[in-house]
Amino acid sequence: MPYREKTAWLSLIAMVITYGPYFAIVSSGFYTREPMPGMHQLALFAAISIARLILLGIGYMLLAGTTAKEDRTPPDERDLAIKRNSMTTAYYVLIAGMIYVGCFLPFTTRGWTIVNAALFMIIAAEVVRESVAAVSYRRQA
Amino acid sequence: MEGIISNQIRALRFHNGEMSQAELGQRIGVTRQTIAAIEAGKYSPTLEAAFRIAHVFRVPLDQVFQWHEKGTP
Repeated sequence: MPYREKTAWLSLIAMVITYGPYFAIVSSGFYTREPMPGMHQLALFAAISIARLILLGIGYMLLAGTTAKEDRTPPDERDLAIKRNSMTTAYYVLIAGMIYVGCFLPFTTRGWTIVNAALFMIIAAEVVRESVAAVSYRRQA
Repeated sequence: MEGIISNQIRALRFHNGEMSQAELGQRIGVTRQTIAAIEAGKYSPTLEAAFRIAHVFRVPLDQVFQWHEKGTP
């Protein structure tokens, strides 16, 4: 498996195993009784984000240790084409999500529900970006 | 109009001293995986990369890449 495909899978897995539990916890209603501004939720999100960065750091170090230096080349035209394609797809997901969060949710809900919905749409767009990249590498392998 | 792009890179590598995919990639500035994807018809290179490949083998572009209309032999 080429280095860039490994990094795409690493980012995808790191995102799913960190933000997945976060959204599972907040959607379970665990924080619903907490009054605004609900700093515990913010602290949880910050902790999860830091955990993701640590996970990515460890993953990149492991990849660097197990991948030959000549395989860790700068992105070539195919890498850039895959990046463009995945970014375009993720952009549409993000725009659709933001239209939903910004134009519909304020009429039905408020507070952390809107914040979490916006965060979810951003993470969903990122997951789509990494998924499209990983699948593109797999299909062209 | 739909078409299929085929290529003769494998044969050209063979006729050039069994040049490796990694060497060809290095000479045109892409990775070995990109050459493998081009060779297998899974990725269409940019026009510039196509010209570079033809330049490495010292042949015209149409000896490296061919375009066929879908449905024609």
